[in-house]
Amino acid sequence: MNKNTSNVHEKTEKSDFLTMDRRTFLKTAGLLGASVFLGTYKTELVSALALSETKILWLHGAECTGCTESLLNGGDPDVLVALQALNAKLAYHETLLAGQGIFVDGKPANTSELNSEILVDELIAEGNYILVVEGAIPNGPEGSGRFFMVGNRTFKELFAKAAGNATAILAVGTCAAYGGINSASSAIAELTDYRGVAFTKNNSYGGMLQELGINKPVINIPGCPSHPDWMLLTLSAVVLGKIRIPGDLPSVLDSYGRPKAYFDEDVHDECPRHDYYEDEEFDTEIGGHKCLFKLGCKGKHANADCSIRKWNGGTSMCIQAGSPCIACVEPGFPDSARPFYMQGGGSSDGGESDGGESDGEKSDRRRGDDGDSSDVDSYDDGSRRDSYYRRGDD
Amino acid sequence: MVNVTVDPLTRIEGHLRLSTEINGEGVITDARSSCLLFRGFERILQNQDPRDAALLTQRICGVCPTSHSLAAANALDQLFGVAESVPKDALVARNINQALNTIASHATHIYVLWGPDLANPAYRDVLAPLGETGTSVWKELVGRFAPISYSIGGTPVPAGSSYLAAIPEKKRLHEAIAVIGGKMPHQVTSYPGGCTYRPNSADIGKLSSYYFQVMDFVSKYTLRVPFDTWIENTYRASSPQKAVNFLLEHLQGLVDNSTSGSNSNNFAREAGWGDMEFYAAFGSELIGEKLLGLPASLKHDRHGGYGDPSKINFLAYGAFYRPENGDGYDPNSPAGDRFQTSGVVTGNLEYKNFDASKITESIAHSFYEGSEELHPSEGETNPIGDPAEIRYDRGPDSRYTWAKAPRYDGIPCEVGPLSRLFAMKEPLVTGLARTFKENGYSPANTYTRMIARIQETAIIANELLKWVTEDYDPNGKIAVHTDLSMAKDSQGMGLWEAPRGALGHWVSTDSNSKVVSYQPVVPSTWNFSPRDSAGTPGPAEQALIGIKINAVENSLGVDYSNPVNILHVGRSYDPCIACAVHTIDLTGKNAPGILRIV
Repeated sequence: MNKNTSNVHEKTEKSDFLTMDRRTFLKTAGLLGASVFLGTYKTELVSALALSETKILWLHGAECTGCTESLLNGGDPDVLVALQALNAKLAYHETLLAGQGIFVDGKPANTSELNSEILVDELIAEGNYILVVEGAIPNGPEGSGRFFMVGNRTFKELFAKAAGNATAILAVGTCAAYGGINSASSAIAELTDYRGVAFTKNNSYGGMLQELGINKPVINIPGCPSHPDWMLLTLSAVVLGKIRIPGDLPSVLDSYGRPKAYFDEDVHDECPRHDYYEDEEFDTEIGGHKCLFKLGCKGKHANADCSIRKWNGGTSMCIQAGSPCIACVEPGFPDSARPFYMQGGGSSDGGESDGGESDGEKSDRRRGDDGDSSDVDSYDDGSRRDSYYRRGDD
Repeated sequence: MVNVTVDPLTRIEGHLRLSTEINGEGVITDARSSCLLFRGFERILQNQDPRDAALLTQRICGVCPTSHSLAAANALDQLFGVAESVPKDALVARNINQALNTIASHATHIYVLWGPDLANPAYRDVLAPLGETGTSVWKELVGRFAPISYSIGGTPVPAGSSYLAAIPEKKRLHEAIAVIGGKMPHQVTSYPGGCTYRPNSADIGKLSSYYFQVMDFVSKYTLRVPFDTWIENTYRASSPQKAVNFLLEHLQGLVDNSTSGSNSNNFAREAGWGDMEFYAAFGSELIGEKLLGLPASLKHDRHGGYGDPSKINFLAYGAFYRPENGDGYDPNSPAGDRFQTSGVVTGNLEYKNFDASKITESIAHSFYEGSEELHPSEGETNPIGDPAEIRYDRGPDSRYTWAKAPRYDGIPCEVGPLSRLFAMKEPLVTGLARTFKENGYSPANTYTRMIARIQETAIIANELLKWVTEDYDPNGKIAVHTDLSMAKDSQGMGLWEAPRGALGHWVSTDSNSKVVSYQPVVPSTWNFSPRDSAGTPGPAEQALIGIKINAVENSLGVDYSNPVNILHVGRSYDPCIACAVHTIDLTGKNAPGILRIV
């Protein structure tokens, strides 16, 4: 626990969790991590049961299920206990629930208890749910969305229906947030035409919502996969009203729609190997323990708190395991970080190199003055609102 | 004839459709398996640095990412010309990484994805007439295996005890992978020539601790007989018959105890019925009813098998390097070279050596242009671009899936734990398969497929401890030197095993060491393949054709609206559909300029 963390911890131990203001909540939650946070505030969370039930409808687009796997890695309390504490019901989730689509001679059969297609339609009709999307959404071929069909309809159609009636949308993982690996440059990227929910790569007009003409508030929680703390804490903040939607979004999110609480740090600044960088000691072969900058580390261009929070219950992180950061939380991933094991690359706008800065150059410089200013403007509230959030603010 | 279609088959990775034609007796006369998603990030490695493949290809699947990154690392080892010199300790570290991934994946499948079907209300109805025995068995099924957010007839059903306890174990196993892999899913340490991280002695201590915590779960929930006793008498049994006899005697003791006296109709864990024992006895008609004398069973041995043994093989590429062989390994995975050996076992259970050159892929019934049967190293992928042609309702003669149809010597192959344990002649599973065959059942069926997955988990856990505590040297070398120039004009083949079956990656490069082609052939493509150009259905399709759709052989009549046997058979293969659809296919033939869009 670093200095900042312990200060916040001390301060908030005396605070009333439920009446904590948004800023303190996010800072506390952000610094402590889901495990400590939900543990510390268990009592208060239990009284949250007085809250009305929040339904969560979780859709799987073009994905690898890695974000669901990661969600299940949430710890102390684990995800199922946390959901219970928040009085949040995972009303629909293809990987976890009992039902499946059942059609007899083309017509949906049985009831919503066993038929997930009936269930999802009933839930959408009832409304009043938070929609979580994992995975990207194909628009191709030719705008039909038929590269992904499910339950006799396109996923694009299901998404449109679910998004249209949602209270708010969380796009978890880089695929749902920005298209991710599905949108990587390739000969058929145009044909498949994969979209994120609100963005495609760094284009805030390129998401599927815009394509469908649907206007809904969206929070992006990227990462490949996303971190369980990022997902659970954001969900907690929304459920408990600590982030009011849509009013708070412009001040809470950065210009790529990510909660600043988790995507404000960059991986480089708190990197466990940062001292080697300062001392200009670089690994040039894998398997060492020094700075990975010359092995292609993109930590300087990755806005995430991995270095503080780490992964899998604080066990480790990519750099700690000798592997360069590939900036998987950035809108341009993976193109913006390729080639992974070479210096250069690392811009957030999908493929542009930052010009290959020299070793150790300006080791203390921060975002905002290192050349790729498109994504790195100041963090003052109000100064980095782009048109996407103005659209979301109505 | 009635069409019953399950779409989507949930509780799997990805999106799968199983469409069946059913006659008046509730028997499936035709089945089609469709993979519903084309992710289409083909060619993303083309003209790129081949080293990116180990990190990128694991994004194919968040459930078995380690497998993809290690299949890629194997292909890259050969591409860089270092397969013969990868240090022994790097190979052991890879083994540990894969073992943890396989155990986590199997546990997730058994308890979170597959298990909830055992709490299907159809079993309550079938068991009800059996009086107290039936009620007790149902109580165990729903009490152990019910999923979250479940209800029956409007009454909420709490999540099952095994289901709930398994989720923290999966989390624990992912933490263990993070110790040596950085994070999970999508661990980061696979690299040509070795690993990026050398686990230290503190890490080894942590891994041992994780191991014992997981084994604590196993002894509380899965297997009530002591683990060492189990391994000694099944996996290490001197013959398949002895392994089966041990199982039957162990189960008979439990049955006798629970069908008489004060313990009557007590099938709880406390009475010795771990989940393995419970399913081993009640899952099978042959074992449970005919051999142990139980009044009823779930009859899972009556579905999921193959009607014609000449149309099916059981295929394994082999996985887990042998530390006793020292540095390096043979990329061709010859028979006996790996802890889990490669091999091709015929439908009549005869073992043959595996030859990677006999693999072809047909696209006659897949949404791709062309129809040649090509080896994966020369495979191509031209997706159909006309929306009107992407349809799933035009019958078995049409194109109906995004999966291709891989064949070995022209024959469809089941891949996965059952095939691997057949290839390594594991006594218990081989013995059970023979017992079923001798009694007129298909040796492969839903029951043996699940027993094999549970048994494989035990075997790999047993070996994992040896790799961690005996074979790995924290002072050893973790990688050999590689640089990009070593990958000029080269080729590599990565043969490996994902939890759900044989996984191969093929890569080739040009004179600038840039990727020319990259082609994975993955387990669920084998298992959920469509018909090939000869019209032979894929393994899961064959396994559905001829079965009764409802619980316990339609014993309560035909109910098209709850086709629980389709669900059991489909999920028994542990489908991973994000994998199954060819995600990365980079061939020189499909350069951007000549992509045809029809």
